[in-house]
Amino acid sequence: MHPLLQGRMRPVLYLVLWLGIGALLVTIMVLFQPRPVGHAVAFAAPLTLVFASICLSAWWVCRANPLATTPPLRLANATLGAALQAGAVWAGLAALWAALLSARLHIGPDRPGLLRDLAVVFTAGVVLYAQSIVAHYFLLAFESARDAERRVMASQVNAREAELRALRAQLNPHFLFNSLNSISALTGSDPEAARRMCQLLGDFLRLSLSLGARERVAFAEELALAERYLAIEQVRFGARLAVDRQVEPGAQRCLVPPLLIQPLIENAVKHGVADRVEGGTVRIAARRRGGALEIEVENPRDPAAPPRRGHGLGLENVRQRLRALDPRGAGLDVVRTPDRFRVLLRVPAVEEEGGVRAAPEAAAARHDAAVPAGEGEHDAG
Amino acid sequence: MPVDTKVIRALIVDDEAPARALLREYLSADANVEVVAECANGFEAVKTIGELEPDLVLLDVQMPKLDGFEVLDLIERRPAVVFVTAYDEYALKAFEVHAADYVLKPVGRERLAEALAQVRARLAAGGTPVAPSPAALAAAARPPGQFVERLLVKEGTQVHVIPVGRLEWIEAQDDYAAIRSGGKTFLKNQTLSEIAAGLDPARFVRIHRSWVLNVECLARLELYAKDSRVAILKDGKQLPVSRAGYARLQELL
Repeated sequence: MHPLLQGRMRPVLYLVLWLGIGALLVTIMVLFQPRPVGHAVAFAAPLTLVFASICLSAWWVCRANPLATTPPLRLANATLGAALQAGAVWAGLAALWAALLSARLHIGPDRPGLLRDLAVVFTAGVVLYAQSIVAHYFLLAFESARDAERRVMASQVNAREAELRALRAQLNPHFLFNSLNSISALTGSDPEAARRMCQLLGDFLRLSLSLGARERVAFAEELALAERYLAIEQVRFGARLAVDRQVEPGAQRCLVPPLLIQPLIENAVKHGVADRVEGGTVRIAARRRGGALEIEVENPRDPAAPPRRGHGLGLENVRQRLRALDPRGAGLDVVRTPDRFRVLLRVPAVEEEGGVRAAPEAAAARHDAAVPAGEGEHDAG
Repeated sequence: MPVDTKVIRALIVDDEAPARALLREYLSADANVEVVAECANGFEAVKTIGELEPDLVLLDVQMPKLDGFEVLDLIERRPAVVFVTAYDEYALKAFEVHAADYVLKPVGRERLAEALAQVRARLAAGGTPVAPSPAALAAAARPPGQFVERLLVKEGTQVHVIPVGRLEWIEAQDDYAAIRSGGKTFLKNQTLSEIAAGLDPARFVRIHRSWVLNVECLARLELYAKDSRVAILKDGKQLPVSRAGYARLQELL
């Protein structure tokens, strides 16, 4: 579709422009051959409107002869040819219109006067069409620059997303070292537990590799990864680490960027459990609210903990990923009280193709009411 | 009796039970090592080291409340120290505070035996290991390139953690420093200069040879005699301000 006809503003502006051109044409005709202004308007107004639409055809002329690749001679030939043709067509239409006006309303100049009018129309037509071609070349250049910019932005967002994915796919090595140390300890005291731990660690590694390589994963898969992680950490921390899951079934089907909550869970274990003598409960909650999936990760914190042990970098990464995903529909809020730390994540609720479609909002609200806080799985550890 | 058959009394400090169990298992194979206790956090470690005076401490770095370096900063008599951690980035700091060895997790039996050999060599050579300077210990106990965020004071077997925001002033008392916070005064086994070196100079000013002041506690300054001023604190307490101290205060305010 022609770019000048897109949207609501552009066609209006285009018409206003042609109103001006029409007024100019009327002025020229009155000055050139004195006559009543009304006669000049009756002659020029319909012709101007018709030529306004003819001038739009310059778009296709310009597109067929791109400035960068068309040889100069062919370019001149094509544009001038188009301008002369447009002028001739317009003059022809003007002759017919003048004949009609003269026959029906008996207005208009005599024969030599008519010929002079047609000469003016032809000249104006050629000049206006040529200008239209120039304007369209500008328009094309502007649009392609904007397209290029948009493409660059899109590729930057993609690159950033890939980079973050790669970053996340890099496992926290200390988690691995500590887990291996635990396995080594269990090998002596409880070989069966050591085997279970190997299994968990294997599952965790496999899942984290396969999720990290994908663009979107079901939230249930993210949860499965988090569960393996927490189970391994429970071996390390024992009763100090408790987990409280409150995830609605509808939330599990939603798609999220892979390894989105993993850094939040790791932070929660570090600050809520590892840094506290008495340990704590890591709470994971997820639900659908209208068109959004809301995920909460919460942990207790030590009020006396120095700020340097804050949640800085991991959180910022998650925030950037969400911004790249959808600047308006996705976001992250942090609620920090002296003894608790809570991250609230929001992403647009999108389900897998072929999955069960989203329940309407009313149903979702009813569902929320039916699942009190206590109904989620409670694991203590 | 040859020195290397002397029984080493060892303390295990780690917040993870499996990690402690592993070290205990390895050590139990060595008849010349006796594990006297296990501690699950820094506070316990400080208390137990004071009570049991072990020859060797196997010390984790990242623990709740107090990390391994802070533990060393708080104890008076220094046992031999072997750090046991999953993090390799503290190795340099560990040797700055004269650790006998630095063992990475997962811990291998042979590697731990090597560390024990190091400890035996040290104990045989000097009896008691050379303690690093308090300044080196204090520097190791804080993150590199940053100011301290809290001061640790040991009182008997109790450890007080004083966030620097609640620190009002410090007075030099020979080799000790009297630290005022929350209406109480704590005595720390460190000189005023050593403590002041770790404090943010934008918040704490050495107003006098013997005094460091948290500028937030300052109400006003009064001329006391020619060239001599007195700082009136918000709680009414008056502290002397030397000429150099006044210049430092002016620069800041």
